Amino acid sequence: MGSRSHPAQTSQPPASPLGDWLAVLAALLWIPQAALLAAIVAHIADGAAAAAALPPALGALALGVFRAWLDLLSARRVFAAARHELSCLRRDALFALAARSPLDPARTPSGAAAAAIAEQAEALLPYLSRFRPARLRAAVVPPVILLAVLSQSWLAALILLIAAPLIPLFMALIGLRAKEASEAQMLEIGGMNALLLDRLRGLATIRAFDAVDATAGRLRAAAETVRRRSMAVLRIAFLSSAVLELFASLGVAMVAVYVGFHLLGVLGFGAWEERMGLGPALFVLLVTPAFFEPLRELAAAWHDKAAGEAALASLRALVAPPALALPAALAAPSVRRAPAPLAVSVRRLVFRYPGAAHPVFDGLDLTVAAGERVALLAPSGGGKSTLLALLAGLALPDSGEIRVGDVLLDGATAADIRSRTAWLGQRPALFAASLQANILLGRRDLAGEAEAWRQRLLPALTPSRAIGEDGTGLSGGEALRVGLARALVSPWVGLILADEPTAHLDRDTAVAATEALLAAAEGRTLILATHDGELAARMDRVVRLA
Amino acid sequence: MSRFAAFAPILRLFLAERRAAMAAGVALASVAAAAGVALLGLSGWFITATALAGLVPATALAFDVFMPGAGIRFLAIARTFARYGERVVTHDATLGLIAGLRERLFRGFAEAQRARALASRPARLLFRLTADVDALDTLYLRLLVPAGAAVATALGLGVGLSFLSPALGFATAALLLGSGLGLPLWLVHAAEREARRRAAALEALRVRTAELVSGQVAYAMAGRLAAQVDAVAAAEARLAASDLALNQLETLAGAGFGLAAAVLLAAAAWAAARLSGSGDISAPQAALILLLALAALEPFAALRRGAVEFGRSARSAARLSPALDTQPPAARPLPPPGRAVCIEGLRYTPPGHTTPLFDGLTLTIAEGEHLALIGPSGAGKSTLFALILGEIAPDAGTIAALPAAVLGQRVELFRDSVRGNLTLGRADVEDGVLWRALVAAGLDDVVRALPGGLDAQLGEGGEGLSEGQKRRLALARLLVRASPLWLLDEATEALDAETATLVLIQIKTLGRNHTIFATAHLRREAELADRLIRLDAGRIVADVRRGERGFADLLATLRPG
Repeated sequence: MGSRSHPAQTSQPPASPLGDWLAVLAALLWIPQAALLAAIVAHIADGAAAAAALPPALGALALGVFRAWLDLLSARRVFAAARHELSCLRRDALFALAARSPLDPARTPSGAAAAAIAEQAEALLPYLSRFRPARLRAAVVPPVILLAVLSQSWLAALILLIAAPLIPLFMALIGLRAKEASEAQMLEIGGMNALLLDRLRGLATIRAFDAVDATAGRLRAAAETVRRRSMAVLRIAFLSSAVLELFASLGVAMVAVYVGFHLLGVLGFGAWEERMGLGPALFVLLVTPAFFEPLRELAAAWHDKAAGEAALASLRALVAPPALALPAALAAPSVRRAPAPLAVSVRRLVFRYPGAAHPVFDGLDLTVAAGERVALLAPSGGGKSTLLALLAGLALPDSGEIRVGDVLLDGATAADIRSRTAWLGQRPALFAASLQANILLGRRDLAGEAEAWRQRLLPALTPSRAIGEDGTGLSGGEALRVGLARALVSPWVGLILADEPTAHLDRDTAVAATEALLAAAEGRTLILATHDGELAARMDRVVRLA
Repeated sequence: MSRFAAFAPILRLFLAERRAAMAAGVALASVAAAAGVALLGLSGWFITATALAGLVPATALAFDVFMPGAGIRFLAIARTFARYGERVVTHDATLGLIAGLRERLFRGFAEAQRARALASRPARLLFRLTADVDALDTLYLRLLVPAGAAVATALGLGVGLSFLSPALGFATAALLLGSGLGLPLWLVHAAEREARRRAAALEALRVRTAELVSGQVAYAMAGRLAAQVDAVAAAEARLAASDLALNQLETLAGAGFGLAAAVLLAAAAWAAARLSGSGDISAPQAALILLLALAALEPFAALRRGAVEFGRSARSAARLSPALDTQPPAARPLPPPGRAVCIEGLRYTPPGHTTPLFDGLTLTIAEGEHLALIGPSGAGKSTLFALILGEIAPDAGTIAALPAAVLGQRVELFRDSVRGNLTLGRADVEDGVLWRALVAAGLDDVVRALPGGLDAQLGEGGEGLSEGQKRRLALARLLVRASPLWLLDEATEALDAETATLVLIQIKTLGRNHTIFATAHLRREAELADRLIRLDAGRIVADVRRGERGFADLLATLRPG
């Protein structure tokens, strides 16, 4: 599969600094635009001809267009960088999922893994593309605006200077609980979805027990509780935004009132000259809202931060190195050998599940001759399935050695050994796709073999027959035959490992499936774990695991 | 337009749910937006007026500073309070809408046909359902509120400016509404296809990731693990392409807003200069016009996000709307006295089959009978149960059955307390009844040991209990419900022999006064019956009672265990 590098853990993502700065520049362009607009009103007040307003109006228009273009450029750059970052994180997580042994007890269940990689990770985009640029703007734009105001009036600048630090102070006071509140609220709304799904999954029981009304009432009551509790905390959360709004609005109002009184001559101080002109006065008023705007944007993006960091944490958890690895997980089998029955030998095998107190095997020995058919008998939890999984190269033992057809199973040979081994579990994983696709699993070069096995094992079903998720629409016996066909499609298979394949089937179906399995095992080695005495009796040898 | 029609049933539900709160939310949002615009306008007017008055000391002293100064402060505070009120009211309304939507959806999906459809394709359909519900949650907050506030502000501004100059008022309102609504509408249209692609790619990413994990062994054995990782990565690449395309459209619309704002501002400046030059307005009024124009387009910008997601919301609405209209279930007939189940002339063809599974099936079960139904898989045992329960409707024939309680192959427990799992929400069950059922099911010690006892919370699917304990809890649930008819569908299938024996003994003992109709794979399940029926390809091929000839032979065909 070519060169597949495992990217290192990503630390602080490298976004698009240029994009972030373009946004800052766009915000700062408002300063000259405001100056031109103030000049127009000053012209009007002076009684100048209307035509005198045309050049500054056109200038303001040009600046506005340029600003829109800069905003577009910056937004696209920042977003593209964030999106790339998300792709990298998702890819890392996928590689990590594939490389974890199916025997690892800490393995993430498929539903949770899918949720973390698909929809949860979506929360990273607003975080990367909105929060960080907003943080830069909040750091740069207000000081520059402050300087612009200061150039006209030190008192107006002082008003802003006093109002600005009060914002974070009050927000911090109120917002301490607000952040937790918004997270709690998101959790609770997510909990509502989970509750609905939970009840929908058990719909058959609810209907059978005539409990639809009671359950609907329960859902409603739970949602009302969520509403009351959420609102109690949301009110506090909104207070912190309200404080920000209040200071922004009052900042504008105080600057406007001060400038008005100053112009009337009531407040003679505060400007560098004795009396500000109308132009500078309007300019100060026009840029004042822009002083608060980045702070409001940052506050609005604060929620993105919490959700984004949570998503980042759950992706990183997936990427964490596995306690038990799947050897040669992504390697492609390189050797194509002619089919021949494979001998199996196990020497002094020791295997312990990560975190378990006792080893499953402590010095196990087992020899199976090429072409032999062996039944493994053991009580539940006796390690039958674990042994078969180790023979299939789905995890490496702690010590001891396993040889399959004279090849020592290790990190380098596992993929090759798997390619010569057929695995049949109790319930094959079936996917929503056609029957043919479920047998082939994308091995297009084996389409001919797949069709031959289908005709042999599932003559009643057409290759294009649609199979539902988890094998919906197939009987247990049919599902098992799909698993068998899938395992045997590869012509290089010399060893079949079957883990209680007929345990959950009714008698007639089990007998038929057993016949199919035994026929397929002709000319191959077969190791079969079973409870079924009748089935065990048909094998060459029975091995009891203590 | 058809793409808006899908929202009609959702909106009807919303309006029925919280009409007043929704209207109040839009009104408060409008007040907040208008106060913001007016604050800037009034400030500009005030500064210009004071500048002109300040030129002459006499007029400066006569200038009434109180009214405009108070107005500015009032607007600043009004804006803050209106914004706070808007947030509280709209979020409260949204949470209320969520409650109504969840309840109605549940009722909708609980109808027989839909319940069946849902059961046949669980995970993917359920995932899509949550995504759909989430897409509709934000309909009011993201689309209706900003649209209402923006339109109200534009109209108010148009009316206000027309006092200065009717032409100016009309032109401003037209430009605001034209660009402010036109751009989001364009975005809705332009983003629709890509938003659909995006939703499909996200679903593919999710499904393939789940397949990668659940099918890891199969892929590894087939040497296809790397290929499956590539397949997931391909879905992610398609998702990234869609995200980028949508971002291009959204930023284009954003630039459109920027352009419209620049044009509006320059045009307002030019118009103010012209009107003032001809003496129609004063200089302070010119400043008022300019500053109103500056703030006027801001409320519309909030519509961008909603517009990008509109396509997705519309499709979600179209998918969920059918589930929102529910019909009261038809009353099911009761069997004549002394009978528990009466089936006559039943014909049923499963979907996708050409020949009927049942054709003329007739079966009568007397009250108090213990009956086991045996036969190979595919013979129609589970389908017959579904028909008796009314989960599926027969093509022809009549089915009458007493109220039934079910213990199925799959134990369905809920994320709820032990009590909630036992009563399924009925409030009129006394604790004594629950404990007696738990004792009978052999689970009382386990429940007593749980923190909280009956009120101990179980996780999804009864998480926190072992498999055997879950089945016993399901048995206790069956006992709590005093139904005269018990339907047991391979009730001990997944149990080890010891637990199975215990469960079966309890069923036999406690079911003395009940009619029991059980399907059985295993001999131990059939042994509790007084009457055995063998079903093959939808026909009854044997029907014997205990003591009759053939009873033991029929038992012997089953798997031991």
